[in-house]
Order: sequence, then structure tokens, then C-alpha cells
Amino acid sequence: MDISTSPRILHDTDSKVSMKTHCENQQECMKMIQAILDGEATAAQKDHFKENMDRCMPCINTYHLEKCVKDALQVKVPKKICPDALLVQIKDLINR
Amino acid sequence: MLDETAPMTEEIFTPTQGYNEEDKHAVFNREFMPHINSMYNFAFRLTMDEDDANDLVQDTYLKAFRFINSFERGTNAKAWLFRILKNSFINDYRKRSKEPSKIDYQEVEATYNSEESAEVEHTSDLRVESVQDMIGDEVANALNSLPVDFRTVIVLCDIEGFTYEEMAKILDIPIGTVRSRLHRARNLLKDKLRDYASTMGYNTQV
Repeated sequence: MDISTSPRILHDTDSKVSMKTHCENQQECMKMIQAILDGEATAAQKDHFKENMDRCMPCINTYHLEKCVKDALQVKVPKKICPDALLVQIKDLINR
Repeated sequence: MLDETAPMTEEIFTPTQGYNEEDKHAVFNREFMPHINSMYNFAFRLTMDEDDANDLVQDTYLKAFRFINSFERGTNAKAWLFRILKNSFINDYRKRSKEPSKIDYQEVEATYNSEESAEVEHTSDLRVESVQDMIGDEVANALNSLPVDFRTVIVLCDIEGFTYEEMAKILDIPIGTVRSRLHRARNLLKDKLRDYASTMGYNTQV
């Protein structure tokens, strides 16, 4: 995740001015946020994200939840390791 | 359901190289073997069984060696191997699986019917704190409970770090389908995590 696309920290004055509490395009915004977290967003999506992610509370919450779930999958889910016996067996079979 | 019929063998295994025996073993050891743990993890997430994962990985590596002249040295070995493994899973493993009914076909059908259609409004009340409090096995259980096609895209993207383009090639589907399937899979996963958090008494109220 490029830090430059992270939602910036809000100041009280910002939030009082224009913070949205309802997102009318939540599914589309979620797709955009997922593309950004996956490193697959277009330039237009990145621009839209930077411009709007400090104004929409549901999108900010979505960003943090999507990032948290992705991080949990990457870091927490145990990765199965190939058993040594299988490794030996494969090498043995191709060397015959 | 998984899924579309896997491509014909000829499509993947068209020989383009002419390695001698020494080159074959060099390519195999240097370019294929470093991915064996990722391959095993992928095979396990597909089959949910260690013995079946063993068989699937062994079949895939033997196939890769047999058709090594179809692989160009220095290209994306990991994606090539994953594609072979996925096709072996569909064409070979699934046909002889002792428990084909492990998959909930009705659930897969229901979710697929909505995959390309208008999005169902999804209002997840899953909290960041709940996910952060979960241990790895709890997240893994939620992942494992997804239908195999959805589990697959999450494993490829979030665990193995493939790009959408690589996933499209591995799965033989258009990039747009990768995006929509991933989106749907993540919504399903969040539903499972939310249900689990609720069951375990985590606070799910926003």
C-alpha cells in the first residue's frame, strides 16, 4: 500500500465542514478501495480516492476494514509447508 | 461448480523450448522448486486435505517436468505452476475425489448467479477490532468455509500476492471476472467473519 494513498488524518475543523455519514455508492467505493489495496487501481481511481477519502466516513471505515481483513489473511492465516518426504519423493521421481 | 472447464492440455503444454537433460533439471531445480511451499499451501486450500494436497503437488511437479519444454526460462514460473495445479485439480482430482459433495453446490450456484448481476447491498457490521482480535485459525476457518472458487481468488490475491492479470491467466477467466469474483468473495468472507465474531461474543455493533 502506497502511503500516499492512505486516508489522511482528519482535523476537527475538516470533519465539521463536510464529513459524510452515508455513502450512496458504497459497493462501488468498496471495489475501488479493494483495487487500491491490491495495487491494481487506475490513476483515476487513485485521484478519486485521495480527493474523497477524507470526506466520507463510511468509506474511511471500509478502507480500514478491508485493509485489516487483507492483513489478517496475509499475516495470520497459517501457511502449510510442503512435507520433506514429498520434496524427496518428487526429486527422486524426476531423477529416475 | 469449479468452474469453467480447464483448458485443453495442448494450450498450456505447447513445446517452445528444446532443453537438454541437464537444462531440464537446472530449470526444474532453480525455477520450479522454490515455489513448492506456495504450491503446497494452494493445493491444501483447494482440497482441504493433506493427503490430497500431497497427490496434487506431486502430480503437478511431475507434469511440469514432463512438459518443461513448454516453459520459457526466466518467465513467470510461479504463475505457470499454479495454472497447472489448478487445472489438475479441476480435471483430475475433482473427478476422482472421494468426497465431491464436500462443496455446497447450491451455495456456489446461488452466489454465482449474483456474481455478475447488480450488487446486493452489503452492510457489514464487522468491526476492525473484532478482526484484529481473531487468531489465525479463526480467520483460516472462515476462509475454508467459502465455496472453492471464492476461496481460490482470495488465496491467489491476498495470500500469494498475484496480480489480477496473473490470476486471470491462472484461472482462465477475464480480468473483469477476477475483480467481481474477488469482490464477492471478500463480501462472503466478511459475512463469515462477522458471524464468527458474533458467535464468539465479539462486539459487532458499530
